[in-house]
Amino acid sequence: MTENSLHLRLPPETASVTTLLDALEAYTEARELPIKLASRLMLVADELTANVVMHSAGASFLQADVVHEGDLVRFILTDDGPEFDPLGRGVPNTNGGVEEREVGGLGMHFVERLAAQASYRREDDRNILTITLDARAD
Amino acid sequence: MQITQSQSGALQVATLDGRLDTATAATAEAALLGLLAPPGLVLDMTKVRYVSSAGLRTLLKLAKEAKTQGAAFSLVALQPAVREVFEISGFDKIIPSFASVAEATQA
Repeated sequence: MTENSLHLRLPPETASVTTLLDALEAYTEARELPIKLASRLMLVADELTANVVMHSAGASFLQADVVHEGDLVRFILTDDGPEFDPLGRGVPNTNGGVEEREVGGLGMHFVERLAAQASYRREDDRNILTITLDARAD
Repeated sequence: MQITQSQSGALQVATLDGRLDTATAATAEAALLGLLAPPGLVLDMTKVRYVSSAGLRTLLKLAKEAKTQGAAFSLVALQPAVREVFEISGFDKIIPSFASVAEATQA
């Protein structure tokens, strides 16, 4: 019987994104998550972890905790970088032709669109982001 | 991310296998830009499990570069998770996609 949770503590560097995504692929297969839910989890993990790696100057670690219970998967990302809440920063313009389009802001937009719940808190000098994904969501 | 090359009519086809994510996007971009030339490039996305915003950055770069070169650029066989991201981001309106390489070649 596989553990229903995954915990990884990693250095804040790009290689950690790969380590985390590899671990998540194995986890989603072991837990037999539906493909759509598994893919959304991968996307959320990639976007949020990449954000910390690229923007959190001074973070010494990031920690990913994943818990699967029934239809819900909770993804919690903790880092010890400067205070920063990536949520609620507005929706990027998704219109426009090839020449005008840029990618900035899209990552968080995906996370906020696909999550059933998303919240941020600052505690003990840590940024803590909690994302809940629901297998029943469209 | 593995990339396999082939030809379909006059078009270059690049078949991708793996994740197009934050860690793999830059390398994939360099390789794919090297394959892009008139008349055009088709990316076979059958085995791409998901695409993050880093991957979209790569695809957008290819689309912009294709436009500059006067080359066609399209995607084939988007998986549901990838299609979802395309729709949310509006990229489905700016990068053509088809069900198969044959369709992309005839377009």
